[in-house]
Amino acid sequence: MSTSRLSARSGEVIDRTKTVPFTWNGRSLSGYDGDTIGSALLANNVRIVSRSMKYHRPRSYMSMDYWDPNALLQVGDEPNVRSAHRRLESGMDVSAQNVWPSVDRDIKAANGLVGRFLTAGFYYKTFINPQRLWPLYEKVLATFAPGGKVDLDTPHGYYDKRYAHPDVVVAGGGPAGMAAAISAAEAGASVMLVEHEYGLGGHLRWGDDSDRAIVAEMSQRLIDLGVEVLVDSTVTGRYDDNWISIAQRSHPGVIERLIKARAKILVVAAGLIERPYVFSGNDKPGVMLSGGVRRLVNMYGVRPGSRAVVLTANESGDQAAADLEAAGVSVVELVDARNGGGVTAVEGSPSQVESVTLADGSTREADLLVTAVGWTAPTSLLNMSGDRPSYDASAARFFPSAPPDTVLATGGMVGDGTLDELVGHGTATGQLAAARAAVTAYRLQSTTARALPVDGPEPDWPSDQRAPLAHRQHPELYRSSTHGMVDFSEDVSSKDLVAAAAEGFDSVELLKRFTTATMGPSQGKLETVNTVAVLAEARGETIEQVGTTVWRPPYAPISLGGLAGRIFEPVRRSPMQDWHEAHGATPLVAGAWIRPDHYGDAAEEVRNTRRNVGIIDVSPLGKLDLQGPDVPQLLNLLYTNKWSKLPVGGVRYGIMCAEDGVVLDDGVTGRLSDNRYLMTTTSSGAASVWEWAENWLQTERPSWKVDVTPVTGAYASINVAGPKSRELIGRLAPELDLDPERFKYMQVRTATVAGVDNCVVWRIGFTGELSYEVHVPAGYALHLWLQLMEQGLDLGVAPFGIEAQRIMRLEKGHFIVGQDTDGLTKAPSTGMGALIKMDKEDFVGKPELAWELENSDPDVLKRRPAVVALQTLDPQIVPEEASQLVRGTTTEIIGRITSSRMSPTLGRSICLGQIEQQYADAGNIVTILLTDGRRIEAEVQAHHAHYDPEGERLRG
Amino acid sequence: MADRSLRSRRNGNGKGPERYSAWGLLRKGLAQENWPRAWREVPLRDTYDAVIIGGGVHGLATAYYLAVNHGITNVAVVDKAYIGSGGSGRNTAIVRSNYLTPEGVAFYDRSLELYNSMASDLNINVMFSERGHLTLAHNDGAVRTMRWRAEVNKLQNIDSSVIGPDEIKKLVPSLDTTSDARYPIMGALYHPPGGIIRHDAVVWGYARAADHYGVEIHQKTEVLDILVEGGSGPDGKGPGGKVTGVRTSKGDISAPIVVNCTAGWASLIASMAGIKLPIHTRPLQAAVTEPVKVFLPAVVVSGSLHVYVSQTDRGELVFGAAVDPFNNYNIAGSLDFTEGLAGHILELMPGVSKMRLLRQWAGLCDMTPDYSPVMGFTPVEGFLCDVGWGTYGFKAGPVSGETMAECIATNQTPKLIAPFALDRFPEGTLVGEKGAASVGH
Amino acid sequence: MLIVPCPHCGPRNSSDLRYVGESHSRPDPNTATPEQWRDYLYMEDNPADWLKETWYCRSGCRRYFTLERHTGSNEFRNPPIPGNKKGTKA
Repeated sequence: MSTSRLSARSGEVIDRTKTVPFTWNGRSLSGYDGDTIGSALLANNVRIVSRSMKYHRPRSYMSMDYWDPNALLQVGDEPNVRSAHRRLESGMDVSAQNVWPSVDRDIKAANGLVGRFLTAGFYYKTFINPQRLWPLYEKVLATFAPGGKVDLDTPHGYYDKRYAHPDVVVAGGGPAGMAAAISAAEAGASVMLVEHEYGLGGHLRWGDDSDRAIVAEMSQRLIDLGVEVLVDSTVTGRYDDNWISIAQRSHPGVIERLIKARAKILVVAAGLIERPYVFSGNDKPGVMLSGGVRRLVNMYGVRPGSRAVVLTANESGDQAAADLEAAGVSVVELVDARNGGGVTAVEGSPSQVESVTLADGSTREADLLVTAVGWTAPTSLLNMSGDRPSYDASAARFFPSAPPDTVLATGGMVGDGTLDELVGHGTATGQLAAARAAVTAYRLQSTTARALPVDGPEPDWPSDQRAPLAHRQHPELYRSSTHGMVDFSEDVSSKDLVAAAAEGFDSVELLKRFTTATMGPSQGKLETVNTVAVLAEARGETIEQVGTTVWRPPYAPISLGGLAGRIFEPVRRSPMQDWHEAHGATPLVAGAWIRPDHYGDAAEEVRNTRRNVGIIDVSPLGKLDLQGPDVPQLLNLLYTNKWSKLPVGGVRYGIMCAEDGVVLDDGVTGRLSDNRYLMTTTSSGAASVWEWAENWLQTERPSWKVDVTPVTGAYASINVAGPKSRELIGRLAPELDLDPERFKYMQVRTATVAGVDNCVVWRIGFTGELSYEVHVPAGYALHLWLQLMEQGLDLGVAPFGIEAQRIMRLEKGHFIVGQDTDGLTKAPSTGMGALIKMDKEDFVGKPELAWELENSDPDVLKRRPAVVALQTLDPQIVPEEASQLVRGTTTEIIGRITSSRMSPTLGRSICLGQIEQQYADAGNIVTILLTDGRRIEAEVQAHHAHYDPEGERLRG
Repeated sequence: MADRSLRSRRNGNGKGPERYSAWGLLRKGLAQENWPRAWREVPLRDTYDAVIIGGGVHGLATAYYLAVNHGITNVAVVDKAYIGSGGSGRNTAIVRSNYLTPEGVAFYDRSLELYNSMASDLNINVMFSERGHLTLAHNDGAVRTMRWRAEVNKLQNIDSSVIGPDEIKKLVPSLDTTSDARYPIMGALYHPPGGIIRHDAVVWGYARAADHYGVEIHQKTEVLDILVEGGSGPDGKGPGGKVTGVRTSKGDISAPIVVNCTAGWASLIASMAGIKLPIHTRPLQAAVTEPVKVFLPAVVVSGSLHVYVSQTDRGELVFGAAVDPFNNYNIAGSLDFTEGLAGHILELMPGVSKMRLLRQWAGLCDMTPDYSPVMGFTPVEGFLCDVGWGTYGFKAGPVSGETMAECIATNQTPKLIAPFALDRFPEGTLVGEKGAASVGH
Repeated sequence: MLIVPCPHCGPRNSSDLRYVGESHSRPDPNTATPEQWRDYLYMEDNPADWLKETWYCRSGCRRYFTLERHTGSNEFRNPPIPGNKKGTKA
């Protein structure tokens, strides 16, 4: 047999004046503009394009559409291209997948010889013993993985996303879908019509001239009405509240675009998919479906063979026979299943049908068998809407049952009829869709704040008055008297299914899982109903009793690039971050923020800060502006300590707990004026503490008058630390009284700094040095930073980064929530017991903390974790953070190191850790198990601070 | 430990199920005959020694170990759909034991041990692929948490260590380990014994073996009520009561022991006995791509990016993420999930943009406040729970079955599951696994 | 993407909101027994039915509110929408 190009057809979609060159397995070939890759290959007499997954049997095109199970090819760096659907482009590098050494000679075809032993589920029954050999078997089996190759250097190209809010989305641009789009638009709805193929018309595209004239007329009407028509685009999913995903493939300049449409009404007009017939040899090249033949002949002008047998149970088969005759292919036998005719087998070489055995036992020499045995309604989008299809035996297919009333189905999937009847149903569907969309629009507008007023009362929800399409009689043709392939992409035969059912895998879901039938690239579009039919036969039940599987999204596969889009992962940078990077700072990713880790030598940054003055950008610090008369009450509720007596200008440190007593966040809060406070939070807690405060104010304490405004980004923050910081700040804020008696440690002022009004200046010290933290309106932050650098030149000012700050805070023994505490650390364990005021009437977490503190069970108390400072006996060993503390020489864990550094100031290793209370006494010697397995000893310290425990430096 | 292989049993009574083997396949192939049913279909009786609700890995393993370790075989496993229809057939089949707390490690390590010997114990190839499990860290805090886990693991003899970007790149070349990534890969917890397994085979293996011992498996049998007498709540249910049986869609069963081994419906089943649980139910979504030639040798998890991925022997990438953002019993799935997933996968592996997502699905997860299950006795006598498995139930299936069986047979809480008792909530002694809260795969 | 009926902003994509969880009332912290308090902290009704739950309109009005949703069908019941149909909201 050979395939070749026919003379020009009146309805062909190819342009014979435009030649398109491409390569097939390295060979140079050409097709025409408008060809699919598949039609071009067949026109070049390339028939065998793939090998089956398990037995590596030669395979050729069967349905010539997106779902063709044998048509997955590699195109350049793109694997698994649906070659019967994808339009040919100049220079495409097309090759076969999953073959070795070539698609024509494939060594693994030897599997076919042992096929009877490789029954469904054979994996489960073998390679069991010896078990240690399974990894080896696994490696061999993995070489059988089907599919193309991923080129890991593929760049992430340009993918895009779009939001749309059409009244009506119509999925499917066949006659019913087009009619629905037209009538909905005529009724005033905004409509988006989405067609999977490259052109509108559905089955009319491979019909006759009058069919195409109707398509042209309707297309023009769509244009006139301004309907947005997307071809080569697929409605891939329907999610909650008609959130519709559309993969748009032919958008200029974009590889793929994901449209997210909030449709008021979804019309599903997905048409019908032709079902293959199960019989012996049904996967042999030369067996095709009637729709595939009609597309090939009428749209692409390709001759699929020379002598054909046509098995027909419907119009499509009859028309295919006529099309073949018209194309000069002799139809040696038209087997009419409606009159009891049948086919039981094809014979021939592995790669070619040579003869067809009919039900009466006679054979016909032929190189092509065309089957037209019925249809499957691709009800995926309806399944996603919650509908479960039901089976009608007289029509031999599943139909939608009861989709939600914002989803309407039309066209072939709901019934049969003449073209006029299909168009009529589509028209009625479009009208209903538009009417319902109008009600939904009314409801949306009338419930949306600040929307324009809507006129009149709410219209009634339009009921469904459409005259249903008839279910035409069709013989139930699933399997012949012989066994054949049910799932072509998975190489699962009807015999496999029968055997699996006999083993107990006799519900459709178990059967599917055990045999992998319907799990392949077309996800059962071709295979599901045949699978169900074979199972029903095996169980002696009806198809209705067996039921079907639920189709999951997406309707058709969608690229990861398309789903990801351009990937927006915003970062936050302080106004000074560019300066930091220009001055040698190593950027550090800290959640959403990019921060300066260090400027080359963190230890030197520490030394300079302790000796002279250093400045650090702490802009990510969370900041909440609190105003109102009830702020002290709020602070009393959120923090464990007391806030009622904080004077204006005063600052306090506080710990926040959750309701279970676990530490949530910490920070300082200062009182700027009578009714205004500024709260600081950890950087990572900035958003959550804000929501936390709002939650309490809105739900439990709605009568309190407090306004919470997040000002994290409004203020940038610079900490000026070191013995010369007072001198430096004094130069920039000459009007600010910095006298240590009048602006004390833990106080706050508002002041003009470097000419910038309304700065908030805090005298606090995370580093343990005399320090001032300036919150400056963010737009002036770089100015202030530059002024600090300039004015502090003679004082030895230098910037320091996060690492130096971490070292200094550790030297000072300040713990970090989330590092030195964890998800179960309750406040008493932090060593900050003095900050927990049980005599307050209420605060968040109080009951749990009360019971925690009341608990006198010595077994519990001694095992409760405590945060302590530790110093290794060998001062040069810095245990890695997360090193475990163990009891002596045992493997019993008693705690862990949570922070550790070499201290440039002390010239020794310093740590914070959590340890069980029974080992937490100052002076105790405990064992640290280093990550390299060594055990070293460390001494528990009396204070968290390794450096200046009395705090003389920062209070000075 | 008793030798539990089917082989030894067959030697004992001479009547085991037909053994799965290459030889058997060959013989059947030559004779063109089918294998016998893997489990029987028998009518539901009106009394059993124990009824196990839920035909997933947990329920079937419990039944299997009750039979094989304790000789209790008059047991019915009931499932409202088909076996493995819930979480057991919807998870991403990752197994590992590198947990944070010593309790967690001991427990999951026993599970891994049972998975390791499962193929020969149950005479079915469960395709355990010990390919290594990498949990990526994208910031220094995460590296610290990984090291914490590694150090705890090492003390329990679990093969687990922190590795750097160069070593990660060697193990998994498709990962972007450059430092200019938005979320740079700074290290990973590497756990060589972790891997993936054919989840359905585990279900079928336990079902077939349990059936062999006389356990009855009743599919399409929905529990409508739990019969309790003497409780302090309405209708005599609740604390202080005693279980007498269950009402099913196929009739009433009387039984002194009823075990709730469900996921997704745990609260509903427990409420039938008058018991309230610290659980909220969320869908966990997963997705699979079309197959491509195998390129991803290990299981890769990123907590910060809320994604995990592995490649099956068939060549598909299997993805999962965090549980959905709100409580739901609806498993329709969402587009946001696939969008976020694809974005995060491409952050990790920029080369796979042209691969296509083939199918998405979801399963229900019962989330507890401390990322640990609820196991053992409840305040209703005879009503036991093995629930609250969050996103990690599959990994724990075998050991849960083993310990629940022991719990039922001995009427004592085994040490391994003592930390997971329901009364830890009223007592305020939660398990510390939350300290490592991240995508728990 | 579920549409959540915010009583202040109107219908919004659920990604605009943060789910807080089942709505429970807080016992008096000074009189609650440990059992009562921990029941409040940890126990949930978790029905496959109508559920009163709290949402936070994170990207809109930034208000916390309680809605009733069916956890099987995802429908909202009696959304507490203030104002009248003319779209004049407080």
